[in-house]
Amino acid sequence: MNHRPFEDWLLEDQRLTSDEERELQAHLRVCTSCAAIAESNLALHSTRMVSPTEGFVPRFEMRLAENRKAMRIRQIIGTTIFVLAGLAFLYWLASPFIQEVMRSPADWITNVVGYFLFIVTSVQALSEVSHVFTHLLSDFISPIGWLVILFLVSGLGVVEVLSIWQFTRTPQGV
Amino acid sequence: MVWVVQAQHGSDEAFTKLVEAYQAHVYNLCYRMLGDAESAEDAAQETFLRAYQHLYRYDQKRSFATWLLSIAAHYCIDRLRRRKFSMVSMDAEEDENSLELLDADAPNPETEMMRKEQRERLQILLKGLDGMDRAAIIMRYWYDCSESEIAEALHLTVSAVKSRLHRARRELAGLWQEDSRRPKPERRPHESPAF
Repeated sequence: MNHRPFEDWLLEDQRLTSDEERELQAHLRVCTSCAAIAESNLALHSTRMVSPTEGFVPRFEMRLAENRKAMRIRQIIGTTIFVLAGLAFLYWLASPFIQEVMRSPADWITNVVGYFLFIVTSVQALSEVSHVFTHLLSDFISPIGWLVILFLVSGLGVVEVLSIWQFTRTPQGV
Repeated sequence: MVWVVQAQHGSDEAFTKLVEAYQAHVYNLCYRMLGDAESAEDAAQETFLRAYQHLYRYDQKRSFATWLLSIAAHYCIDRLRRRKFSMVSMDAEEDENSLELLDADAPNPETEMMRKEQRERLQILLKGLDGMDRAAIIMRYWYDCSESEIAEALHLTVSAVKSRLHRARRELAGLWQEDSRRPKPERRPHESPAF
Protein backbone atom coordinates (compact mmCIF):
# COMPACT_ATOMS: atom_id res chain seq x y z
CA MET A 1 0.00 0.00 0.00
CA ASN A 2 1.26 3.51 -0.72
CA HIS A 3 1.77 6.36 1.75
CA ARG A 4 -1.50 8.29 1.18
CA PRO A 5 -4.09 6.16 3.02
CA PHE A 6 -1.88 5.89 6.12
CA GLU A 7 -1.43 9.63 6.23
CA ASP A 8 -5.21 10.10 5.83
CA TRP A 9 -5.94 7.65 8.65
CA LEU A 10 -3.57 9.55 10.91
CA LEU A 11 -4.72 13.02 9.92
CA GLU A 12 -8.38 12.05 10.35
CA ASP A 13 -7.41 10.34 13.62
CA GLN A 14 -9.65 7.45 12.68
CA ARG A 15 -10.36 4.30 14.69
CA LEU A 16 -8.61 1.39 12.94
CA THR A 17 -9.28 -2.33 12.76
CA SER A 18 -6.54 -4.66 14.03
CA ASP A 19 -5.45 -5.44 10.43
CA GLU A 20 -5.26 -1.74 9.58
CA GLU A 21 -3.38 -1.10 12.81
CA ARG A 22 -0.81 -3.78 11.87
CA GLU A 23 -0.36 -2.32 8.39
CA LEU A 24 0.02 1.16 9.87
CA GLN A 25 2.67 0.02 12.34
CA ALA A 26 4.65 -1.55 9.50
CA HIS A 27 4.40 1.69 7.52
CA LEU A 28 5.45 3.83 10.48
CA ARG A 29 8.74 1.95 10.70
CA VAL A 30 9.73 3.21 7.23
CA CYS A 31 7.95 6.60 6.96
CA THR A 32 9.27 9.43 9.12
CA SER A 33 6.53 11.95 8.21
CA CYS A 34 3.74 9.51 9.18
CA ALA A 35 5.71 8.60 12.33
CA ALA A 36 5.72 12.29 13.27
CA ILE A 37 1.94 12.50 12.81
CA ALA A 38 1.48 9.32 14.86
CA GLU A 39 3.72 10.65 17.62
CA SER A 40 1.98 14.02 17.83
CA ASN A 41 -1.43 12.22 17.78
CA LEU A 42 -0.23 10.05 20.66
CA ALA A 43 0.82 13.13 22.59
CA LEU A 44 -2.60 14.66 21.89
CA HIS A 45 -4.29 11.55 23.27
CA SER A 46 -2.29 11.67 26.49
CA THR A 47 -3.22 15.24 27.38
CA ARG A 48 -3.89 16.37 30.93
CA MET A 49 -5.92 19.14 32.48
CA VAL A 50 -4.13 21.83 34.47
CA SER A 51 -5.91 23.57 37.33
CA PRO A 52 -5.54 27.14 38.52
CA THR A 53 -3.65 27.86 41.73
CA GLU A 54 -5.49 27.77 45.06
CA GLY A 55 -7.89 30.66 45.71
CA PHE A 56 -9.19 31.19 42.18
CA VAL A 57 -12.78 31.77 43.35
CA PRO A 58 -11.96 34.44 46.00
CA ARG A 59 -9.76 36.18 43.43
CA PHE A 60 -12.67 36.14 41.00
CA GLU A 61 -15.04 37.52 43.63
CA MET A 62 -12.61 40.34 44.30
CA ARG A 63 -12.36 41.11 40.59
CA LEU A 64 -16.14 41.05 40.25
CA ALA A 65 -16.47 43.50 43.16
CA GLU A 66 -13.85 45.81 41.60
CA ASN A 67 -15.62 45.60 38.26
CA ARG A 68 -18.96 46.51 39.86
CA LYS A 69 -17.38 49.45 41.65
CA ALA A 70 -15.80 50.70 38.43
CA MET A 71 -19.13 50.32 36.64
CA ARG A 72 -20.94 52.30 39.37
CA ILE A 73 -18.35 55.09 39.11
CA ARG A 74 -18.74 55.11 35.33
CA GLN A 75 -22.53 55.32 35.75
CA ILE A 76 -22.27 58.22 38.20
CA ILE A 77 -19.88 60.10 35.91
CA GLY A 78 -22.11 59.40 32.90
CA THR A 79 -25.27 60.55 34.70
CA THR A 80 -23.55 63.72 35.96
CA ILE A 81 -22.32 64.59 32.48
CA PHE A 82 -25.80 63.91 31.05
CA VAL A 83 -27.56 66.06 33.66
CA LEU A 84 -25.05 68.93 33.30
CA ALA A 85 -25.32 68.80 29.51
CA GLY A 86 -29.13 68.81 29.81
CA LEU A 87 -29.08 71.80 32.15
CA ALA A 88 -26.71 73.68 29.86
CA PHE A 89 -28.99 72.97 26.89
CA LEU A 90 -32.06 74.12 28.82
CA TYR A 91 -30.26 77.29 29.84
CA TRP A 92 -29.28 77.92 26.23
CA LEU A 93 -32.92 77.44 25.14
CA ALA A 94 -34.34 79.61 27.92
CA SER A 95 -31.69 82.33 27.91
CA PRO A 96 -33.64 84.82 25.66
CA PHE A 97 -36.71 84.41 27.87
CA ILE A 98 -34.70 84.77 31.09
CA GLN A 99 -33.04 87.93 29.72
CA GLU A 100 -36.47 89.36 28.94
CA VAL A 101 -37.75 88.59 32.43
CA MET A 102 -34.71 90.20 33.99
CA ARG A 103 -35.21 93.32 31.94
CA SER A 104 -38.79 94.05 33.28
CA PRO A 105 -39.95 91.68 36.06
CA ALA A 106 -43.20 93.64 36.72
CA ASP A 107 -44.42 93.15 33.10
CA TRP A 108 -43.59 89.48 33.32
CA ILE A 109 -45.58 89.04 36.58
CA THR A 110 -48.56 90.85 35.05
CA ASN A 111 -48.41 88.56 32.00
CA VAL A 112 -48.26 85.43 34.14
CA VAL A 113 -51.22 86.52 36.28
CA GLY A 114 -53.14 87.36 33.10
CA TYR A 115 -52.46 83.89 31.63
CA PHE A 116 -53.46 82.23 34.90
CA LEU A 117 -56.76 84.13 35.01
CA PHE A 118 -57.42 83.28 31.36
CA ILE A 119 -56.92 79.54 32.07
CA VAL A 120 -59.16 79.60 35.15
CA THR A 121 -62.02 81.42 33.40
CA SER A 122 -61.70 79.12 30.33
CA VAL A 123 -61.98 76.01 32.51
CA GLN A 124 -65.05 77.46 34.27
CA ALA A 125 -66.74 78.31 30.98
CA LEU A 126 -66.00 74.87 29.53
CA SER A 127 -67.42 73.07 32.58
CA GLU A 128 -70.63 75.13 32.36
CA VAL A 129 -70.99 74.34 28.66
CA SER A 130 -70.48 70.60 29.22
CA HIS A 131 -72.99 70.65 32.10
CA VAL A 132 -75.68 72.22 29.89
CA PHE A 133 -74.80 69.84 27.01
CA THR A 134 -75.20 66.65 29.14
CA HIS A 135 -78.54 67.89 30.50
CA LEU A 136 -79.79 68.45 26.97
CA LEU A 137 -78.47 65.06 25.76
CA SER A 138 -80.16 63.14 28.58
CA ASP A 139 -83.51 64.46 27.36
CA PHE A 140 -82.81 63.47 23.73
CA ILE A 141 -81.33 59.93 24.24
CA SER A 142 -83.47 57.12 25.71
CA PRO A 143 -82.10 54.68 28.35
CA ILE A 144 -81.78 51.97 25.64
CA GLY A 145 -79.71 54.38 23.54
CA TRP A 146 -77.40 54.92 26.51
CA LEU A 147 -77.06 51.12 26.89
CA VAL A 148 -76.12 50.74 23.21
CA ILE A 149 -73.48 53.49 23.51
CA LEU A 150 -72.10 51.89 26.67
CA PHE A 151 -71.99 48.47 24.95
CA LEU A 152 -70.15 49.88 21.90
CA VAL A 153 -67.60 51.75 24.02
CA SER A 154 -66.85 48.69 26.17
CA GLY A 155 -66.59 46.53 23.01
CA LEU A 156 -63.99 48.93 21.59
CA GLY A 157 -62.10 48.74 24.88
CA VAL A 158 -62.00 44.94 24.73
CA VAL A 159 -60.76 45.02 21.11
CA GLU A 160 -57.98 47.43 22.09
CA VAL A 161 -56.86 45.31 25.06
CA LEU A 162 -56.88 42.16 22.89
CA SER A 163 -54.80 43.78 20.16
CA ILE A 164 -52.23 45.07 22.68
CA TRP A 165 -51.97 41.60 24.20
CA GLN A 166 -51.55 40.03 20.75
CA PHE A 167 -48.67 42.39 19.82
CA THR A 168 -46.81 42.11 23.12
CA ARG A 169 -47.11 38.31 23.34
CA THR A 170 -44.18 37.72 20.89
CA PRO A 171 -40.85 38.03 22.80
CA GLN A 172 -38.74 40.93 21.63
CA GLY A 173 -34.97 41.11 21.20
CA VAL A 174 -32.77 37.99 21.73
CA MET B 1 -28.28 23.41 35.77
CA VAL B 2 -30.09 24.50 38.95
CA TRP B 3 -27.20 26.86 39.73
CA VAL B 4 -27.38 28.30 36.22
CA VAL B 5 -31.10 29.05 36.62
CA GLN B 6 -30.54 30.53 40.09
CA ALA B 7 -27.62 32.62 38.79
CA GLN B 8 -29.79 33.84 35.90
CA HIS B 9 -32.29 35.00 38.52
CA GLY B 10 -29.55 37.06 40.18
CA SER B 11 -28.10 34.70 42.80
CA ASP B 12 -24.40 35.54 43.29
CA GLU B 13 -24.00 32.47 45.48
CA ALA B 14 -25.13 30.20 42.64
CA PHE B 15 -22.72 31.90 40.25
CA THR B 16 -19.85 31.36 42.70
CA LYS B 17 -20.75 27.67 42.74
CA LEU B 18 -20.57 27.66 38.94
CA VAL B 19 -17.12 29.28 39.08
CA GLU B 20 -16.00 26.63 41.55
CA ALA B 21 -17.32 23.85 39.34
CA TYR B 22 -15.92 25.09 36.03
CA GLN B 23 -12.70 26.86 37.05
CA ALA B 24 -10.40 24.01 35.99
CA HIS B 25 -12.25 23.58 32.68
CA VAL B 26 -11.93 27.23 31.75
CA TYR B 27 -8.44 27.70 33.15
CA ASN B 28 -7.08 24.68 31.28
CA LEU B 29 -8.43 25.97 27.95
CA CYS B 30 -6.92 29.41 28.58
CA TYR B 31 -3.62 27.88 29.63
CA ARG B 32 -3.44 25.68 26.52
CA MET B 33 -4.40 28.63 24.32
CA LEU B 34 -2.11 31.26 25.81
CA GLY B 35 0.75 29.13 27.08
CA ASP B 36 1.49 30.75 30.44
CA ALA B 37 -0.10 30.62 33.87
CA GLU B 38 -0.44 34.36 34.45
CA SER B 39 -2.26 35.09 31.19
CA ALA B 40 -4.36 31.95 31.67
CA GLU B 41 -5.47 33.09 35.13
CA ASP B 42 -6.35 36.53 33.81
CA ALA B 43 -8.20 35.11 30.79
CA ALA B 44 -10.12 32.62 32.94
CA GLN B 45 -11.19 35.39 35.33
CA GLU B 46 -12.24 37.56 32.40
CA THR B 47 -14.21 34.64 30.93
CA PHE B 48 -16.21 34.24 34.15
CA LEU B 49 -16.73 37.99 34.34
CA ARG B 50 -18.12 38.05 30.79
CA ALA B 51 -20.26 35.01 31.54
CA TYR B 52 -21.64 36.81 34.61
CA GLN B 53 -22.41 39.95 32.61
CA HIS B 54 -24.08 38.08 29.75
CA LEU B 55 -25.73 35.26 31.67
CA TYR B 56 -29.14 36.45 30.51
CA ARG B 57 -28.10 35.56 26.96
CA TYR B 58 -27.34 31.94 27.82
CA ASP B 59 -29.78 29.56 26.19
CA GLN B 60 -30.59 26.69 28.57
CA LYS B 61 -30.97 24.29 25.64
CA ARG B 62 -27.17 24.47 25.14
CA SER B 63 -24.52 22.93 27.36
CA PHE B 64 -23.29 25.45 29.93
CA ALA B 65 -19.72 24.07 29.74
CA THR B 66 -19.65 24.53 25.95
CA TRP B 67 -21.02 28.07 26.34
CA LEU B 68 -18.28 28.93 28.83
CA LEU B 69 -15.59 27.32 26.66
CA SER B 70 -16.88 29.31 23.71
CA ILE B 71 -16.46 32.59 25.63
CA ALA B 72 -12.98 31.54 26.80
CA ALA B 73 -11.87 30.43 23.33
CA HIS B 74 -13.01 33.64 21.65
CA TYR B 75 -11.41 35.76 24.34
CA CYS B 76 -8.10 33.89 23.99
CA ILE B 77 -8.21 34.11 20.17
CA ASP B 78 -8.68 37.91 20.46
CA ARG B 79 -5.85 38.11 22.94
CA LEU B 80 -3.55 36.11 20.65
CA ARG B 81 -4.43 38.44 17.80
CA ARG B 82 -3.58 41.49 19.93
CA ARG B 83 -0.38 39.81 21.05
CA LYS B 84 0.57 39.23 17.42
CA PHE B 85 0.07 42.93 16.66
CA SER B 86 2.02 44.09 19.68
CA MET B 87 4.84 41.79 18.55
CA VAL B 88 5.33 40.24 21.97
CA SER B 89 7.06 36.92 21.68
CA MET B 90 5.22 34.12 23.44
CA ASP B 91 8.53 32.39 24.02
CA ALA B 92 9.54 35.30 26.19
CA GLU B 93 6.57 34.60 28.40
CA GLU B 94 7.55 31.05 29.33
CA ASP B 95 6.42 30.28 32.80
CA GLU B 96 8.19 27.59 34.70
CA ASN B 97 5.59 27.55 37.47
CA SER B 98 3.06 26.01 35.16
CA LEU B 99 5.14 22.99 34.23
CA GLU B 100 3.45 19.73 35.12
CA LEU B 101 4.81 17.63 37.91
CA LEU B 102 5.49 13.94 37.52
CA ASP B 103 2.85 11.58 38.84
CA ALA B 104 4.65 9.77 41.66
CA ASP B 105 2.02 7.00 41.75
CA ALA B 106 2.38 6.11 38.07
CA PRO B 107 3.04 2.39 37.54
CA ASN B 108 5.91 3.02 35.12
CA PRO B 109 7.85 6.19 36.02
CA GLU B 110 9.95 6.05 32.86
CA THR B 111 6.91 5.94 30.55
CA GLU B 112 5.25 8.60 32.67
CA MET B 113 8.32 10.82 32.33
CA MET B 114 8.35 10.29 28.57
CA ARG B 115 4.65 11.19 28.38
CA LYS B 116 5.27 14.29 30.47
CA GLU B 117 8.06 15.37 28.15
CA GLN B 118 5.73 14.75 25.20
CA ARG B 119 3.00 16.87 26.80
CA GLU B 120 5.40 19.73 27.49
CA ARG B 121 6.69 19.53 23.93
CA LEU B 122 3.12 19.50 22.62
CA GLN B 123 2.31 22.58 24.73
CA ILE B 124 5.22 24.43 23.11
CA LEU B 125 4.30 23.25 19.61
CA LEU B 126 0.66 24.28 20.06
CA LYS B 127 1.89 27.87 19.95
CA GLY B 128 2.80 27.35 16.31
CA LEU B 129 -0.86 26.88 15.37
CA ASP B 130 -3.32 29.58 14.33
CA GLY B 131 -5.62 30.64 17.23
CA MET B 132 -8.81 29.08 15.84
CA ASP B 133 -7.06 25.80 14.91
CA ARG B 134 -5.51 25.70 18.36
CA ALA B 135 -8.92 26.15 19.99
CA ALA B 136 -10.37 23.35 17.84
CA ILE B 137 -7.53 20.96 18.75
CA ILE B 138 -7.79 21.78 22.47
CA MET B 139 -11.55 21.29 22.53
CA ARG B 140 -11.21 18.01 20.65
CA TYR B 141 -8.44 16.41 22.71
CA TRP B 142 -8.67 18.01 26.14
CA TYR B 143 -12.46 18.13 26.39
CA ASP B 144 -13.49 15.30 24.06
CA CYS B 145 -15.86 17.68 22.31
CA SER B 146 -17.55 16.38 19.20
CA GLU B 147 -17.08 18.21 15.91
CA SER B 148 -20.58 19.67 16.17
CA GLU B 149 -19.91 20.93 19.70
CA ILE B 150 -16.68 22.57 18.52
CA ALA B 151 -18.55 24.10 15.59
CA GLU B 152 -21.19 25.52 17.94
CA ALA B 153 -18.61 26.91 20.35
CA LEU B 154 -16.37 28.48 17.72
CA HIS B 155 -19.22 29.63 15.46
CA LEU B 156 -18.00 27.51 12.54
CA THR B 157 -19.61 24.88 10.34
CA VAL B 158 -18.93 21.21 11.05
CA SER B 159 -17.04 20.84 7.76
CA ALA B 160 -14.89 23.87 8.65
CA VAL B 161 -14.08 22.24 12.00
CA LYS B 162 -13.13 19.00 10.23
CA SER B 163 -10.81 20.78 7.84
CA ARG B 164 -9.29 22.87 10.65
CA LEU B 165 -8.61 19.75 12.72
CA HIS B 166 -7.09 18.03 9.71
CA ARG B 167 -4.87 21.03 8.96
CA ALA B 168 -3.88 21.47 12.61
CA ARG B 169 -2.83 17.82 12.94
CA ARG B 170 -0.72 18.16 9.81
CA GLU B 171 0.90 21.36 11.03
CA LEU B 172 1.50 19.90 14.45
CA ALA B 173 3.15 16.84 12.93
CA GLY B 174 5.37 19.11 10.79
CA LEU B 175 6.39 21.07 13.86
CA TRP B 176 6.93 17.83 15.77
CA GLN B 177 9.23 16.52 13.03
CA GLU B 178 11.10 19.83 12.86
CA ASP B 179 11.52 19.85 16.62
CA SER B 180 12.81 16.25 16.59
CA ARG B 181 15.51 17.18 14.08
CA ARG B 182 16.72 20.09 16.23
CA PRO B 183 19.74 19.13 18.38
CA LYS B 184 18.78 18.84 22.05
CA PRO B 185 21.00 20.48 24.69
CA GLU B 186 23.32 18.04 26.42
CA ARG B 187 22.27 17.09 29.92
CA ARG B 188 24.97 17.83 32.47
CA PRO B 189 25.96 14.85 34.63
CA HIS B 190 24.67 16.37 37.88
CA GLU B 191 21.29 17.31 36.42
CA SER B 192 18.12 15.35 37.05
CA PRO B 193 16.70 13.71 33.89
CA ALA B 194 13.37 15.37 34.71
CA PHE B 195 14.75 18.80 33.73
